[in-house]
Amino acid sequence: MKLLTGVLLLAASTLYAAGEQNKVFPFPYDQHDFPNGLRLITIPTDAQNIVALYIVVQTGSRNEVEPGKTGFAHLFEHMMFRGTKLFPATKYEGIMKQAGASSNAYTSDDLTVYHAAFAKADLDQIMLMEADRFQNLEYTEATIRTESLAVLGEYNKNSASPEVKLDEVISGTAFEKHTYKHTTMGYLKDVQDMPNQFAYSKQFFDRYYRPEFTTIIVAGDANPEKIREMVARHFSQWKRGSFQPAIPAEPAQTAPREAKVAWPSPTLPYVAVAFKSPAYSDTEKDSAALDLIADLAFAENADLYQRLVVNEQKVDRLDGSIANHVDPNLFAVTARVKKPADLESVRESILSTLNGFKDNLISAEKLDAVKKNKRYSFALRLDDPDRVAGIAARFVALKRTPDTINKRYELYSAVTPEDIRAAARKYFVESGRTIVTLTSGGAN
Amino acid sequence: MLRIILLLASFSLVYGQAKLVTLPSKSPIVTFRIVFKTGAAADPAGKEGVATLTASMLSSSGTKAMTYKQILDAFYPMAVHVDDNTDKEMLTISASTHVDNLDAFYKIFRSMLLEPGWRAEDFERNRDDQINYLTTTLRGSNDEELGKEVLYNEIYSGRPYGHNNAGAVSALKAMTIADVQAFYAKHLTQSNLIIGIAGGYPSDFPARMKKDFEKLPKGKVVKEKALQPTSITATEIKLVEKKTRSVAMSFGYPIDVKRGSPDFAALLVAQCYLGQHRSSAGRLFVRMRGARGLNYGDYAYIEYFPQGMYRFEPAPNLARQQQIFQIWIRPVEPPNAHFALRLAIFELNKLIAEGIPEEDFAQTKSFLVKYASMLLKTKSAELGYAIDSAVYGIPRYDEYLKNSLAKLTRDDVTTAVRKHLRTNRMRIVIVGQDTQKLRHQLATEAPSPITYNSPKPQDILDEDKLVESWRVGVTADQVTVVPVDKVFE
Repeated sequence: MKLLTGVLLLAASTLYAAGEQNKVFPFPYDQHDFPNGLRLITIPTDAQNIVALYIVVQTGSRNEVEPGKTGFAHLFEHMMFRGTKLFPATKYEGIMKQAGASSNAYTSDDLTVYHAAFAKADLDQIMLMEADRFQNLEYTEATIRTESLAVLGEYNKNSASPEVKLDEVISGTAFEKHTYKHTTMGYLKDVQDMPNQFAYSKQFFDRYYRPEFTTIIVAGDANPEKIREMVARHFSQWKRGSFQPAIPAEPAQTAPREAKVAWPSPTLPYVAVAFKSPAYSDTEKDSAALDLIADLAFAENADLYQRLVVNEQKVDRLDGSIANHVDPNLFAVTARVKKPADLESVRESILSTLNGFKDNLISAEKLDAVKKNKRYSFALRLDDPDRVAGIAARFVALKRTPDTINKRYELYSAVTPEDIRAAARKYFVESGRTIVTLTSGGAN
Repeated sequence: MLRIILLLASFSLVYGQAKLVTLPSKSPIVTFRIVFKTGAAADPAGKEGVATLTASMLSSSGTKAMTYKQILDAFYPMAVHVDDNTDKEMLTISASTHVDNLDAFYKIFRSMLLEPGWRAEDFERNRDDQINYLTTTLRGSNDEELGKEVLYNEIYSGRPYGHNNAGAVSALKAMTIADVQAFYAKHLTQSNLIIGIAGGYPSDFPARMKKDFEKLPKGKVVKEKALQPTSITATEIKLVEKKTRSVAMSFGYPIDVKRGSPDFAALLVAQCYLGQHRSSAGRLFVRMRGARGLNYGDYAYIEYFPQGMYRFEPAPNLARQQQIFQIWIRPVEPPNAHFALRLAIFELNKLIAEGIPEEDFAQTKSFLVKYASMLLKTKSAELGYAIDSAVYGIPRYDEYLKNSLAKLTRDDVTTAVRKHLRTNRMRIVIVGQDTQKLRHQLATEAPSPITYNSPKPQDILDEDKLVESWRVGVTADQVTVVPVDKVFE
């Protein structure tokens, strides 16, 4: 019971219950808050010798509030690999390489994550380097001018995909004020201006790369007590910041919106139907109910999927989902249609399917199958420390604790057919709707 | 503990018998990998794509007793999804289930493989998906994968590896269910079958599976085909013309090295040093992206690695008798395309001429030993690698690498690099817009100086002077342009 002893020694730690049968996130974990606001979550699993280290900064493209600065959270993720006095980039890379670490980072709307998986013997050294770059990152104007070209390269490789363009236009059309209007990649003109943003980049680091925005997750062959001591040793000098981002609220949408995209190369046409949807919650049922509707309506065995993809074969891809977000976002459905002439009827089929949830109560049996699918899907993903930490990181970005995972799954269990109907009636309304079509044609 | 119920020596000798690769553990997840040692290289002429279509007629279609819809309804509460992947010489059907649902799942899974329904509507849907993959997904939305796949077609033109795994559009349009059934009957046999299972299954489960799969024809152990590509006598460049913002490039040539070959570990060290996939420590990455900001990344490969833009680690069950050496240059701004290509060749030349610095050699060896263990961190990957090891006739992959690397010297790497790598007699594929201009530049070997948005150290500027005139080594007739809608046709 090493785990329990460690917890009793440090009052600020919380031990979350171990392996109860009905918990979808079955791992006991240790959550500890340091005085500077940094949070550490240690998740021991049965993995041997391997640990996954995820550092979650609760900053993403949502935090890009100033005009002309879209894509900055992502640029900053790149800058974090540019080194410090103590560990210049080549030295950092050399040590990570020596450790056989598979390491990388990603940025999304609500978070930036730095992650690596490696042998536990290397954890102390890697934790030292992480602490150093989070506190002492150092780069010149020439460095950011070069690195922002790598970001432009990333924009370029993504730009070959019509689906990336479709996502960009859906967000751009559905939102007016909220920063979810722009994608994490940012507008091309802002990406092209990044080389000139040296001063702003320093300000961005000063605002957000602070302990109160940061959570460290260690999963795998990990002893919480030892890791707390290790993190305290490396991160205790890190100073809390004072910045409070003012994310603009999205005004209520009052009428349906529509946009058309002309794609320069040959492609099958796409139609996307989106509705404004609530923020992620582990206490209110609406977002959980909409998540279940996405499965009920668009999973492979759903009636519409069967009709459009399997029987009529008008569509070769059909997806519906509500992405978990800190602020209200979108419930979005995308279909890739085989013939342009069918675009209209596919769009109508999607709308009438969603409207159907407003009129009819779904059967308890169907709802039960979806709930089972959710639980088993989750369980099947928890097969190594890297995955466990990666999943926890997504939820930590939303509520800063893995505890929200089990709460959210309890919420799914509690959703009734009436809740499904109520959520459909509330959110599948014309005044919250955005429809975007993408077809081949037009200039590049 | 790893337990492979398989005697390597008997692997290719036992006639008409399925092989078992098992990895029992306490995990509540049970993973299946059913691998047939056949694939796109066995597609008959004019039937390119039939192997892949056969796989999807098993993984994404009805059985004799159940429609596809009934199968999806049954699997849905279990959250099970059956996947297929067809490479040149391996056709894999895989799935994972929670042990709670093992029996219910397996009953259906077994019939999907052994009693396929061959319904016309399933055939039409799967064939459309395959055509749309080639025409829309590959040609229309992913310039990097497009370039890499065209490179394979160019290198192996006229050989069994010479068409995309998904086939050719014209062949798919003419294909019938009878073609798929014929492929199934001939190639999905016990002789070609490896049954892989991992996780917390009951101890008698593998034997039960083996017995069930005796329903397949015994088949013949098909003799190895002559898969070697025509020898490349000069560098040739294929420019794929499409409307797109930037320029994606890949180049390479066949190598006579695969897992189990004497030079595999040596060449792996060289590849890792030059450009480990998605690592920011590789030489190409450091010099092309890090120092010059040319693009998002640049990497090197000695084994097939599809879906590299989405995956950090390579997928298992892509074992091949023939591999290529390849450099992947991620999309660059059009004015820098010629320079970027030259710089990649310059770096390759430097590796061949100078070998790997001592410090990098030690670091790279250390990386590979530890990284090999990381590759096996999921049960599904461990199982996949165990099957590949059986096919290549090597021990468990991490042990194999550890042992091979322990004996390896820096001189071994230099020798292997000089033996297998070169900067001439290459195939280069470039995807971009207005390629005629680039074609002229390439064909005339015109200088391609580069300008920067910030001051650069003198050593970079000096190196640029060499790179801007570095000879790719082609003449006008060796640089051709193909419109994108003609590839994979």
